[in-house]
Amino acid sequence: MRLHSMTLTACIAMATAFPALAVAPGATAPDFTIADTAGKPVKLADYRGKFVVLEWTNPECPFVRKHYTSNNMQGLQKEWGAKDVVWLTINSTNASHSEYKSADEMASWMRAQGAAPRAALIDGTSATARTYGAKTTPHMFVVDPAGKLLYAGAIDDRRSSNPADAKVANNYVRAALTEATAGKPVTVASTAPYGCSLKY
Amino acid sequence: MGQRPTVMIRPRRPLQVRAFRAFVAAAALALASGVFAAPVATEHVEAELVAARTALVPGEPVTVALRLSMQKGWHTYWQNPGDSGLPTTLEWKLPTGVAAGPIEWPAPHVLPVGPLVNYGYEGEVLHLVELTPQRTLTAGETIVLRARADWLVCKELCIPEGVDLELALPVDKASMADPRWGAPIAAARAALPRPLTGWQASAEGRGQTIEMKLVPPDGATDPGALQFFSRTEARIEPSGPQTLRRDGASYVLTLPVSFNLTGDFGRLAGVLAAANGFSPGARTATIDVALTGTVSAGAKPALAAAPQLNLASPPAGDGLSLLLAMAFAFVGGIVLNLMPCVFPVLSLKVLGFATHGDSKATLHKEAFAFAAGVVLTFVALGLVLAALRTAGEQLGWGFQLQSPAVVTVLAVLFFVLALNLSGVFEFGQLAPSGVAGFTAKNRSIDAFASGVLAVVIASPCTAPFMGAALGYALAGSTAVMLVVFVALGIGMAAPYVTLALLPGWRHRLPRSGPWLLRFKQLLAFPLYATVIWLAWVLGAQRDNDAVVRLLLALLCLGFALWTWRIVRTGGARPWGIAGAAALAGALALAWPLLGTDADATASAAPGQRLTTADPEWLPYTPARMADLAASGRPVFVDFTAAWCVTCQVNKRLVLNTPDVRLAFAQKNVVLVRADWTRRDPDITRALAALGRNGVPVYVLYRPGRGPILLPEILQQQTVQEALASL
Repeated sequence: MRLHSMTLTACIAMATAFPALAVAPGATAPDFTIADTAGKPVKLADYRGKFVVLEWTNPECPFVRKHYTSNNMQGLQKEWGAKDVVWLTINSTNASHSEYKSADEMASWMRAQGAAPRAALIDGTSATARTYGAKTTPHMFVVDPAGKLLYAGAIDDRRSSNPADAKVANNYVRAALTEATAGKPVTVASTAPYGCSLKY
Repeated sequence: MGQRPTVMIRPRRPLQVRAFRAFVAAAALALASGVFAAPVATEHVEAELVAARTALVPGEPVTVALRLSMQKGWHTYWQNPGDSGLPTTLEWKLPTGVAAGPIEWPAPHVLPVGPLVNYGYEGEVLHLVELTPQRTLTAGETIVLRARADWLVCKELCIPEGVDLELALPVDKASMADPRWGAPIAAARAALPRPLTGWQASAEGRGQTIEMKLVPPDGATDPGALQFFSRTEARIEPSGPQTLRRDGASYVLTLPVSFNLTGDFGRLAGVLAAANGFSPGARTATIDVALTGTVSAGAKPALAAAPQLNLASPPAGDGLSLLLAMAFAFVGGIVLNLMPCVFPVLSLKVLGFATHGDSKATLHKEAFAFAAGVVLTFVALGLVLAALRTAGEQLGWGFQLQSPAVVTVLAVLFFVLALNLSGVFEFGQLAPSGVAGFTAKNRSIDAFASGVLAVVIASPCTAPFMGAALGYALAGSTAVMLVVFVALGIGMAAPYVTLALLPGWRHRLPRSGPWLLRFKQLLAFPLYATVIWLAWVLGAQRDNDAVVRLLLALLCLGFALWTWRIVRTGGARPWGIAGAAALAGALALAWPLLGTDADATASAAPGQRLTTADPEWLPYTPARMADLAASGRPVFVDFTAAWCVTCQVNKRLVLNTPDVRLAFAQKNVVLVRADWTRRDPDITRALAALGRNGVPVYVLYRPGRGPILLPEILQQQTVQEALASL
């Protein structure tokens, strides 16, 4: 029966291929080295001592577009970049996928959006996404100066693709950074992310 | 004063008015008969509100449904969409007197998206809603139910869509089952997950997993494989393994807790699907039990590294010795005669046998002159190639056709030949009589020139065997290369020479007569076809404008040649002037096409035109291959070029057929196209690494194992066998 074979295939595939991952708040954020759009390798460990935001993105996803058309993401990048938070935008769309963007294409898209991350990284093998268990675009992670994960999950609480929702939503990333930079514990450390599936 | 007589004519109602009235009447009839609704179609989904019954009866609940019909391959989501996605929402705008309940969701299906899992529906799905018409409604009125339906429909791409829907239902004292939707809605309702009867379910948290225990009633059959769908997000990890085991008479399903567990997890609620069903007619069931024990976030991953692709090439030449390479080249040369590029010209040579009632000696001289032309041209081409390579250029066999200038010249050449065969002009008329006479007498030179011509036009058609032989030749020293090329030349000339040397057969050919003229004119058509193909190649290398330029230049040239014949046979002077003007025009039009190949790098990858036409094939770049090597998927690379006829034939007959495409999709193969229409040093290097120097080359890279090189002439069976080995 269809359910049987699909379930079986799904179970086997998932068990072997993808980690239902334990990269949860409180754990150490796994290190990675990925090339940015200029070809320079960027290593997470280099930013020890600063707050780091990891933003998984895919320009083709309507949920990513929601945050970029409304200038929500760019606003966050500029707001926290000014406070010396290292914002890394990562595109882990697999090279074998039709939505894959080369370094040049990603760079020109970021420019056109007026985005201002510290760096835009191309993870064409999807390896780093696998390590972090990134499921959707956007999927946000906040790392503290000691290298520990402070927040993992959705960008805000309005689970839609409507750009108008971005302004009125409760932004989890802003909340986590505001609390952490003030020395307070992060109240919402983990939420279920929403968005398009990450294109492994 | 004369006045025009006025005639009163009673105007007939105009057509439009009559049509409108008819339409209104029909609509009223439709309304009066009851249900009136129309499906709304978006790009990938057709949405409709449908009702189970034909009328609303005050006080009696009636089931309506949001029907979503998705295009093949696209899906929408359940109330817990899984790892990503958004559930479908329905917002009612109801008049007073009607209340709507929540969506009663059909059982979802597991929709894997790469390593992630979504819960949702494909094909057609009915989201049931129970409406309760109040007793305050009066019979006779019509209620229009309005709703806004929003959903996310995804295949690889995700598109949020939403439509406004309406359904008009009359209010009546009694109603009947809707003829169209009554039965499907009833079936959907029967298939809704229901609480288990007879079975006992319980759930115990064990840290990072939950054990759901199911105790069957007596006589229950084996439910088969079980799949649990949590109704709330971030409780059970959608892509995690759900393992089933027997515990005496009970079944225990171990569920992985979500790694981003949020909120209180006090109850385990959702839908449980059984492959064999829990009882006849109940394939799914709802589960809502208290969760005992303790749970914590995260589940243990079992991350197995995806098997890497071995991008290392098979050993170049594959143990080809010089002798074997020569043998391959020889056979390849013979087969080259049958290739569509070469065949028309060579058939003309055979034609030559019949036109000249020559002595054996002359014929032999001609044959050897032809062979000499062929061999020496191959050698010359090889030397040019070697010289350019030592000068640092990344070139391979067929390099001459990567240049638009060469393609233009060839097109002009073929056109002129075709015009000659069609009878528009004779070669003898072109040159002053002295030269013409020389050519006519010294047919050896003519034969030599034919040999040169044959090689020039043969280069696009890589015959089988030639690929490996050429690879060996161009990888070796210059002497080795020359020897192999000579063998190739001899092979190509061999059939013609054999025919010339064989006694007797040409005497059986009828003497030249009207049949010969007609045959000659017939042979012009394959040559025109070759011109069309070359124009297509030029289009692939440059753009549409270049093709139009070429065609206009050919037109002017044709006109010029035609007027030349008139002038030569004593026509008036103005014809000559017109002809000269046309010739000048042709030159002016064609000149930019003969321009430098600076555009090879300047223009934005014109060869990619071939790839963008077919989005399933990704363009080849070394960076992409490196990334793909780690993806764990098999990769099929098609090294091709617009000017390579064998490549196009293979594409039409094998690669683009539905069977082969299906086989690729089933084996999850990534399709990569390396387009060599224009010079591309990366692709030339890749070919060299595979021990090849020309196209087509077909490679299947397999994860964890060595790559397979497929033969140059593809067959469906060859591809299927290679895929079966994955």
